[in-house]
Amino acid sequence: MSSAVIFPAQPEQILKGLGKLWTSLGQEEKHQGRPTVLRACAMTLIAATDEEDSGFSASQTISELMREHPSRGIVLAVSQQAERGVEARILAQCWKPFGKAQQICCEQIEITSRPENWPNIGPILIGLTAADLPVVLWCRHKAALSPSATADQKAGLLAVMNLATKIIIDTKGEDATQAIELLAKWRAERRLVADLEWTRLTRWRQPIAQIFDNPSTDSSFSKFGSIEVSYTDEKPCPSVFYIAGWLSAPYGAKVAFKKVEGYGPGLHGITLRSPSETIEFERTSCDCMSLRSTKGRERKYNFNDSTLYTLMNEELSVLGPDPAFNAAFARAEELLDGR
Amino acid sequence: MSAAVQPLPEINPLQDYLRFDRHVPPCAVVIFGASGDLSKRKLLPSLYRLFYERRISPNFAVVGSSRTPMSDEQFREKMKESVAKFLEDAPFDEDVWRSFAQSLYYVAGDLNNPASYDDIHQKLEEIEKTHETAGNVLFYLSTQPSHYAEAIQELGEHDLTHGNGWRRVIIEKPFGHDLASARKLNEEIHKVFDESEIYRIDHYLGKETVQNILAFRFGNGIFEPLWNRRYIDHVQITAAESIGVEGRGGYYQEAGALRDMIQNHLSQVMATVAMEPPTVFDAANVRDERAKLLRAVRVMKHDEVPKYAVAGQYGPAKVGGQDLLGFRQEPSVDPEAQTDTYAAVTFFIDNWRWADIPFYIRTGKRMPKRVTDIAIQFGAPPLGLFKQETKTGLREARPNVLVLRIQPEEGISLRFLSKSPGSGMRLRPVSMDFNYGSSFGERSPTAYETLLMDAMAGDATLYTRQDMVDASWQIVQPILDVWGSTKFDFPNYPSGTWGPKASDEMLARQGHVWRVP
Repeated sequence: MSSAVIFPAQPEQILKGLGKLWTSLGQEEKHQGRPTVLRACAMTLIAATDEEDSGFSASQTISELMREHPSRGIVLAVSQQAERGVEARILAQCWKPFGKAQQICCEQIEITSRPENWPNIGPILIGLTAADLPVVLWCRHKAALSPSATADQKAGLLAVMNLATKIIIDTKGEDATQAIELLAKWRAERRLVADLEWTRLTRWRQPIAQIFDNPSTDSSFSKFGSIEVSYTDEKPCPSVFYIAGWLSAPYGAKVAFKKVEGYGPGLHGITLRSPSETIEFERTSCDCMSLRSTKGRERKYNFNDSTLYTLMNEELSVLGPDPAFNAAFARAEELLDGR
Repeated sequence: MSAAVQPLPEINPLQDYLRFDRHVPPCAVVIFGASGDLSKRKLLPSLYRLFYERRISPNFAVVGSSRTPMSDEQFREKMKESVAKFLEDAPFDEDVWRSFAQSLYYVAGDLNNPASYDDIHQKLEEIEKTHETAGNVLFYLSTQPSHYAEAIQELGEHDLTHGNGWRRVIIEKPFGHDLASARKLNEEIHKVFDESEIYRIDHYLGKETVQNILAFRFGNGIFEPLWNRRYIDHVQITAAESIGVEGRGGYYQEAGALRDMIQNHLSQVMATVAMEPPTVFDAANVRDERAKLLRAVRVMKHDEVPKYAVAGQYGPAKVGGQDLLGFRQEPSVDPEAQTDTYAAVTFFIDNWRWADIPFYIRTGKRMPKRVTDIAIQFGAPPLGLFKQETKTGLREARPNVLVLRIQPEEGISLRFLSKSPGSGMRLRPVSMDFNYGSSFGERSPTAYETLLMDAMAGDATLYTRQDMVDASWQIVQPILDVWGSTKFDFPNYPSGTWGPKASDEMLARQGHVWRVP
């Protein structure tokens, strides 16, 4: 369900358009003699994209996320194709729960800006965030994140970042040094930053942690003083440092990195060594991870690729500080420095 | 000489409570009655689902036990069929099943045969080594209730209640068939298990929306100030089923609606709705408050029972072109049965918060639809400014109802009056809805998943305690006594209706009417 393009994209005009949209949805439902739609909103979720990204997958993912995290979704796209400076389009994302008569609707605003207008996008957004609710920025604007970003690109990003209570980026495939430096800079500015590369590690971290839930055996984690992390790319990616940082942070275990051939991309396996036991986690196929230990433990886990939806779904559930990531990140920085 | 100081167990530094599912320690689960319906339909599918979602420890095993002779492999095959068939809203994954199945074992044996317990003992010792279960064992009694006491006694005699780790026992309802038998059963169990090791399951308390009542009441600041006799006129709790006894006529004939639903599930729901806020949200404090509430429920005198309780039994009817049997025509049911397939009771809670506020509870089979909800009916505004009639011809004297829906559409809705658009002050009721499923979208764990996890994690918040069971039997016992000595003119409501006329009259005496859920 969409409305016409709104130009100029002034907050008041956009909000007025949203008001009309809800009225028409209500009338449509009334006409059909069914209950009115239910409007749901728990946060403002801004997806900032650039020309390479086109905004399509962000828009699609936001639609999927609306069920778990009903929000006012704002997709910011930068495109040379934009006919006018900054234009907006509003739509309602509705779904009908299985077997239910009532529709649940969330509002979505798509703002398209020509690159030269990107630095001025901040003031539009200030008027569009939902009152009293958290603002999450999902930054997919690769050009603005790049160290070679222009001053305009940086200014536009900064304006959007300043509105956000949490910033989510994805460093998958990025150079680990650059990625970790960027995050460190933002963290130093006391911004709450999350990286989907860390989120991807939950399916590794949870089964590893479970191994050490039983303190009565001699598998106490403090005894595992040596950790080896293997990866399949040419250079270790950020997630390799994150997992190493996470495992090494509690007791300062020694870490070795190893490039291997095998299932990837990125992280391939983890080996934990204590004087009496070696435990190996390894991706054994596209959708399977196995655990083996010298004490005869063996287990297989399903390992389906995380979709953007599953990653964002997890990340939007953690809107406050993330102590585990903080500790892992601090140690990852040290490992990157060779400490 | 001072005792040797034991080092504190190491806390797992890798746990991430924000992102990982709840921590559950290693353990073995022993299911008595493993080839029964509950195991096949609920317990094994729930355990598989918890394993699939990695919510239980990898150091985990299940030992099934029942009379049917089977090998481990045969048990695994049988359970595979059940899990694939009864898994709710979840995929069945062959690879994950193979891994899960490696933790399934079977010991054939009769609950009356002491040798069976020796076999279980031996199996648990093996499993403790191979699966590193740390000696923790959760026994699940999914057997005939008449075997509970005997099975527990045998567990004690075969030293299965002590080991390297903790030992706990889950007991299914019904917990006794009246106050005296419940107390006797408690005595027997306490000879073997400490109260802290006993988990009496009431699956209603494991339902997400019942737990949400606590979140709704005590997580928000705006409702609790209204949650008392000053603003609430009365409360209606309805648990209606559209089906009949569905082949369980033999069992149901002995139980009846009052025992089957009100003594346990619905009295616990009432306690959750009406209890005082606990000082701390933990098992002991929450259960203390529930128990305190149940003890405050006024126990009827025998001569008050006809005024405050109504029994009903469904008769035959033609519904939607289909001929439905009356209860007395159901298989295995006595044609003269005096069983209540419908029960409605008015309870009063004698404390400062609820004095003189009626809590109406009704439950029945073969009602027009399947629904469980709690309606909090607020009082009228102090001054009726808007006296015009509504479309229904009735002035809305008490327009505000808060409905907590437990099933099938879990959620909360608040009804209030709003001005109709246009000139003049015409009011019409509108509803503000929160839909649990659509607001979160995520699949909610089933009640058995929640409760099994809780028992493994040692969290008894959602389990009933001895004093709660005792109190809930006390409040229904006078009704059971009177109904047991009454010859009812059954059937008194046709299938597909909201129950007997006497039930409407019971509310009418208080100036109330049953709402239509």
